[in-house]
Amino acid sequence: MAASQIRLLTLVAILAAWELVARSGLLYQEVVPSLLKIAAAFVRMLFEKDTWRHFGVTAWEVGAGLAAGYLLGLAFGLAAGTRRFFGAAVAPYVDGVATAPKIVFLPIVMLLVGTGIGSKLALGALSAFFPVAINTAASVRQVDPVLVRVGRSFRLSRWQMATRIYVPALRPSLVTSLRLGFGLAVVGVLLAEIKLSNAGLGFLANEHYSNFRVADLYAVLVLIFVVAVGLNSLMSRFAERRNQRICS
Amino acid sequence: MLVVDNVTKRFATADGGVTALENLSLEVSKGRFVAVIGPSGCGKSTLFNIIGGLVEGYEGRVLIDGQPVDGVHRDVGMVFQEESTFPWLTTLENVAFPLDVAGVPKAERLERARALLRLVGLEGFESRYPAELSGGMRQRTAIARTLAFQPKLLLMDEPFGALDEQTRLLLGDQVLRIHRELQQTTLLITHSITEAVQLADEVVVMTYRPGCLKRLVRVDLPRPRDSAIVSSPEFGRLVAEVWSDLRAEASRGMQDIESHRKEEIS
Repeated sequence: MAASQIRLLTLVAILAAWELVARSGLLYQEVVPSLLKIAAAFVRMLFEKDTWRHFGVTAWEVGAGLAAGYLLGLAFGLAAGTRRFFGAAVAPYVDGVATAPKIVFLPIVMLLVGTGIGSKLALGALSAFFPVAINTAASVRQVDPVLVRVGRSFRLSRWQMATRIYVPALRPSLVTSLRLGFGLAVVGVLLAEIKLSNAGLGFLANEHYSNFRVADLYAVLVLIFVVAVGLNSLMSRFAERRNQRICS
Repeated sequence: MLVVDNVTKRFATADGGVTALENLSLEVSKGRFVAVIGPSGCGKSTLFNIIGGLVEGYEGRVLIDGQPVDGVHRDVGMVFQEESTFPWLTTLENVAFPLDVAGVPKAERLERARALLRLVGLEGFESRYPAELSGGMRQRTAIARTLAFQPKLLLMDEPFGALDEQTRLLLGDQVLRIHRELQQTTLLITHSITEAVQLADEVVVMTYRPGCLKRLVRVDLPRPRDSAIVSSPEFGRLVAEVWSDLRAEASRGMQDIESHRKEEIS
């Protein structure tokens, strides 16, 4: 059986189980609404102008936060990976902070940049930074040293060394970093929105929750889920295609 | 052109230190092809790295056209023992790489890279990736890429070490042809006696640790040469001559390594 078939069957089984539970009345029906109710809420949501405003806010926060966190993480990881002394000096701090949930920094971030979009963006960046930095530093140490010596033999500058040798040699790991960073940036941004905001999908979900519109809450979650899965598979497909061209 | 003057290099190790090279001197004049041969562990690769400017902290001097080498020298082009083509670039892009980073305009650098690929016999493979080529083709790509840098001295560290004997003989023909066309001053580091005699004007035989010059064998085989020369009596005589010098060093090296193993076991 192909992986795609198993994937489809899993989805069908989960949906069927959900529907069974919803109809059985075992759980409070308002908490586990029927799929039809969620589907209706989802379709209704797609036609509301407000939804797309919130979606745009979250997309911007995630996109800009990820971009900032990714670039900073990449630069930091390259530095930590190529310069052993610097890497050894900062590693314990990076590893330490990386394990902390970034939401604990939200109050500090809010004091620094205010409670608006900036704080969500900063939390997204902060969330994305650590996995990217750690993954990049680890991959840099795996780069074939002879390629670095080739670069030195052509007298590349530090900048050329980074952009012409390390970045292309790290390409598969750069895509992995992007996927890791993206996942955590979404989490960071949504958490921050749920905590304190007046716009974004996290805010919208929280509004539905507060007013006990459970089907609408699920509809928002489905939207987030679908977009995240779609972007992730797009990224991995891009990576696979490039790899095929080089490694066939 | 290249002068290595009294170079000594020591490495610190756990049990005191190893003298890799001791009072080594050699010269390569313009347009000549010199091969350095020695047993494993004689400091050949250390010599390569010192001339290439990748290793510092040695005694003595290395001069290129009278200028002391300090870091990687503009006029020295290196070809490494390991696979060193960039897997993310096509053959043509690989060869054009040093021209690209030097800011040569696109049309010009591609034209020059194409000419070099023709020179190393890889015409028609311009848009292939290294993974699609054989090991010998990849090393020729690496040689073409180094030549694109237009070095005055081509420095090669066992470029065909990973390949089989027959392929090496045939690639030797390509190297001879390149040398004939470009009159490229070349220093080849190798552990293959046939390769050294087949290609070089002079063979420098090194001693086992510490590496210093044991003997200099002049190869007076006529040029142009090709790999057919390996069957000539003159070739056989030269190989025997180099081996008679190398034999004592190689067995000393082998004994040394084996006694280290014995210590590790006991």
